[in-house]
Amino acid sequence: MPTLNLDRVTKRFQNTVVVDDLSLAVENGEFVCLLGPSGCGKTTTLRIIAGFESVDTGHVRLDGADITRTPPQRRDIGFVFQQYALFPHLTVAENVGFGLKMRRQPRGVIDEAVSKALNMVRLDQLGERYPRQLSGGQQQRVALARSLAIRPHLLLLDEPLSNLDAQLRDEMRDEIRRIQRDTGITAIFVTHDQSEALALADRVAVMASGRILQMDDPSSIYEAPQTRFVGSFIGQSNILKGTVKTSARGQVEMMTAGGQIVVGCGRDLAVGSSAAALFKKERVILTRSRPSQQVNVFRCEVEDLTYLGHTISYRCGIPQGTIDALVPNHPSFERFSRNDKIFVHWSSDDCQVFPE
Amino acid sequence: MNRAAAIARGLYIAVIYGFVLLPLVVIVFISVNQASTFPSRFEGLTGKWYQAILDHPEFLIAARTSATVALLAAIIAVVVAFLAGYALVRNKPRHGHVLETALMTPLLVPQIVISLAMLQFANIIGIGTDLAGLVAVHAVHVMPFALRLVLTGLARYNFALEEAALGLGASWWSTWRHVTIPILRPSIVAGFTFCFILSFVNLPISLFLTNPHTATLPIVMFAYMESRIDPMIAAIASVAVIVAALVTLLLEQTLRIRLVD
Repeated sequence: MPTLNLDRVTKRFQNTVVVDDLSLAVENGEFVCLLGPSGCGKTTTLRIIAGFESVDTGHVRLDGADITRTPPQRRDIGFVFQQYALFPHLTVAENVGFGLKMRRQPRGVIDEAVSKALNMVRLDQLGERYPRQLSGGQQQRVALARSLAIRPHLLLLDEPLSNLDAQLRDEMRDEIRRIQRDTGITAIFVTHDQSEALALADRVAVMASGRILQMDDPSSIYEAPQTRFVGSFIGQSNILKGTVKTSARGQVEMMTAGGQIVVGCGRDLAVGSSAAALFKKERVILTRSRPSQQVNVFRCEVEDLTYLGHTISYRCGIPQGTIDALVPNHPSFERFSRNDKIFVHWSSDDCQVFPE
Repeated sequence: MNRAAAIARGLYIAVIYGFVLLPLVVIVFISVNQASTFPSRFEGLTGKWYQAILDHPEFLIAARTSATVALLAAIIAVVVAFLAGYALVRNKPRHGHVLETALMTPLLVPQIVISLAMLQFANIIGIGTDLAGLVAVHAVHVMPFALRLVLTGLARYNFALEEAALGLGASWWSTWRHVTIPILRPSIVAGFTFCFILSFVNLPISLFLTNPHTATLPIVMFAYMESRIDPMIAAIASVAVIVAALVTLLLEQTLRIRLVD
């Protein structure tokens, strides 16, 4: 039985459908990321799980119990807010102990739970400080400790890293992952940052327009997108458009506008229908001499290149448009200059063809 | 800022403060001066005008009436203002700005008119102008000041804190008690102080609504001054000013410790 189960949940604000017939099952101990552009309904979904928003139709179940109409104060779900939402008039220790105080736990139990929670987020010494005396990263740790101190059934995190600077963000990301593993708590993390989602999650649910388009482990989401949206949203992809020439057994040949054939994999498509081929920029191979492969090999000219340190980004002109390639900055990879006439190639396995 | 601008700015502030505070200094001066009329030269320090207050129990009774009216009016005004302000900011009702303006209208009606209107109204519906009526009208009059302060406080208030509290298992009541009210306490206390003082010193509203049993301090002072003017009035005024100043300072000090960031 999944820990959390959303069953065909729909939520409208005025006439806008924000969450659209969404179903989601999260297993015990799992770390799931809801990933999507702003306005895709991911935060509303999280707030529905927490009980801060009601649903129009559908059911929310936690550990098998229907909590659709249960108010948030009786759900035992931890929630970490984007803006931390620490109580400014209470000390760090009082913030962390707030949930237990509301549960009328004895003083000793609260003190012990508070020091344990602060220890978990490595803030043992700061219990007597006020939130305004802490850095953003420390405040986020307090928020995390506060939500964990009530020993919730489920931990929800609403873009908790978006207010932190880049270095701190990576540090906190690893910290959240470590704490989730140590406690074994089931967690749902909302983000619009795909690298966060890929790094943290056991499974990533890509959302758009109030629906989950694909829910999979990170490598499947990245390498085997099921829809054009997921393919173009995750990672950096080249997109070539054309019409389907042949399609059989998961292999699609597509005729591009420039009259060339691109071969990719995908579900079988009707011959003659419009299609788009997507392949990741780092899967593009650039060579000075013609590669031995039979398909997806094109002559091109280096139009532009950008030095990015760990990689070099090339923009290559082919008759049907441009193809971008991200090439590792390593001696085993050839280096090219602007206006070089070279070959571009990508594997048909790395190329997904979707109906357009 | 260059030097000339700094001096000009300091001078400007000094003039404003001087204009506001010097009359008070004059009052205090009169109240401790020997001379039995004013204006007058300094004739020597005395406490006799303060002692004279004790021979006029009507002032002490009136002061107690004023304090009672001000306390009740301020409590009612702050409760109404807090609930109204909270609803306006949190729920953002569709015509919220109209409502807000409507709630501020007691400021726009001349106080003497309110007083007269309330007297007529009380006569029509057949209730006396007793303490309850006086408190009600005072509460209506001072409420907008409390509302302003509450709205200012709420503008910086993060409603996610209430969700955080609910999510941690607090009931709505506990959330108000442990989160909402403590965080908004500076606005609430400032609003209360403001309302109390405004009600305490108000003359025009009380003018038609008091009887000999419910006369407030300003009414009794006004009546006294109609027949004669002596420094005892200045002594009463000085006491009122000093008490108000002390209360304000005390509140500021106690609040600043934890709540101003």
